[in-house]
Amino acid sequence: MGGDAFTFELFGLTFNWTNLISGTIVFVLTFFFLFGLSRHLQMKPTGGQNILEWIVEFTNGIVRGQMPSETSSFYSFFVFVLFVFIFIANQLGLIIQFGWNGHEIVKSPTADPVVTMTLALCAVTLSHFAGVARQGVKGYFADYFKPFSLMFPIKLVEEFSNFLTLGLRIFGNIYAGELLLKLLAQMAFSHGIPTIIVSLPLEIIWQGFSVFIGAIQAYVFVTLTTVYISRKVTGE
Amino acid sequence: MFIVAESNQLYLGDMLFYLISFLIMSALVWHFAWKPVTQMMQKRADKIANDIDSAAKSREEAQKLASKRQEELKGSRQEAATIVDNAKQSGESQRAEIIATAQQDAQNLKDQAQKDAEQARQDALRGAKEDVANLSIEIASKLIHKQLNADDQQALIDSYIEGLVKHE
Repeated sequence: MGGDAFTFELFGLTFNWTNLISGTIVFVLTFFFLFGLSRHLQMKPTGGQNILEWIVEFTNGIVRGQMPSETSSFYSFFVFVLFVFIFIANQLGLIIQFGWNGHEIVKSPTADPVVTMTLALCAVTLSHFAGVARQGVKGYFADYFKPFSLMFPIKLVEEFSNFLTLGLRIFGNIYAGELLLKLLAQMAFSHGIPTIIVSLPLEIIWQGFSVFIGAIQAYVFVTLTTVYISRKVTGE
Repeated sequence: MFIVAESNQLYLGDMLFYLISFLIMSALVWHFAWKPVTQMMQKRADKIANDIDSAAKSREEAQKLASKRQEELKGSRQEAATIVDNAKQSGESQRAEIIATAQQDAQNLKDQAQKDAEQARQDALRGAKEDVANLSIEIASKLIHKQLNADDQQALIDSYIEGLVKHE
């Protein structure tokens, strides 16, 4: 992704304009997407309500398959919002890639490791919190020494690698997809008309595939989040 | 860190921004989309369950009613048969009674007639006897008056005297 990071400093923290703008767009899109679908709710669903209920049923199905229903109501909501947000974030970069003055302004937020690691951190933190809430601090840490204390380092590595792979998997997929799209676009404009003719179908095919990848990655992310949470909630 | 190789730097500000934005968006989505939709879905699920329950209940009721009707119909049929039977029986008995009465009456009438006839015969017989006696006396007196001439009287007296003599 060309160009230097477009950053500014505030309160001793570093902010990246690209992430802020893209993120805000995705947050607003996600909210208005769900807001628009949830208007005029009826007992007999029509149009948008059907789509929204389908999404809710879908994410509820992911959660219900992993944990008992009495603990799932809050996590269902978290998984639902996370799924819609990541899905839209994944697709944003396929539709709009916007640069200005050598800096990127709009792209998929999930093509940035900082953003995906933030989401992964949220998910993993929530899972640990759920574990502590269920078993208490003592019982939660005792789980690291089961079935015997030699398991402790392995379990520690497992937890850390869960966090890393959760964030990096989605970053890798989306980043690679966007990079290839960008390379194809560069190729298209490198030698005039002939390269445009060759690149256009390739670009279309790769965009379609990236839409698929984005959906799959959103599904994988929330499924793994649910698995991590349920392992802490239900015990192993 | 290698994770941030692409971004050159760890943007803690971004992380904070995403965290806060995510929380705000979640709250808004919870309030405007999630809560109404899940409530509606729950309501629908409840309604469907209720409908199924009430349908089963009303079907059961209908079945009960139908069987009750069937039973009642059977009962009324039986009742009708009983009524007809009773009517037949009472007709029969009435007929028998009427016949018996008629027979009795006829018998009485016959007896009475016989008795009357007998009486009449007896009366007639008795009358005839009296008539015959009177007639014979009359005839005898007439015979005696007319045919008792002198010779005969003599002869009669003679025979009478003879008889007296013999008896002596």
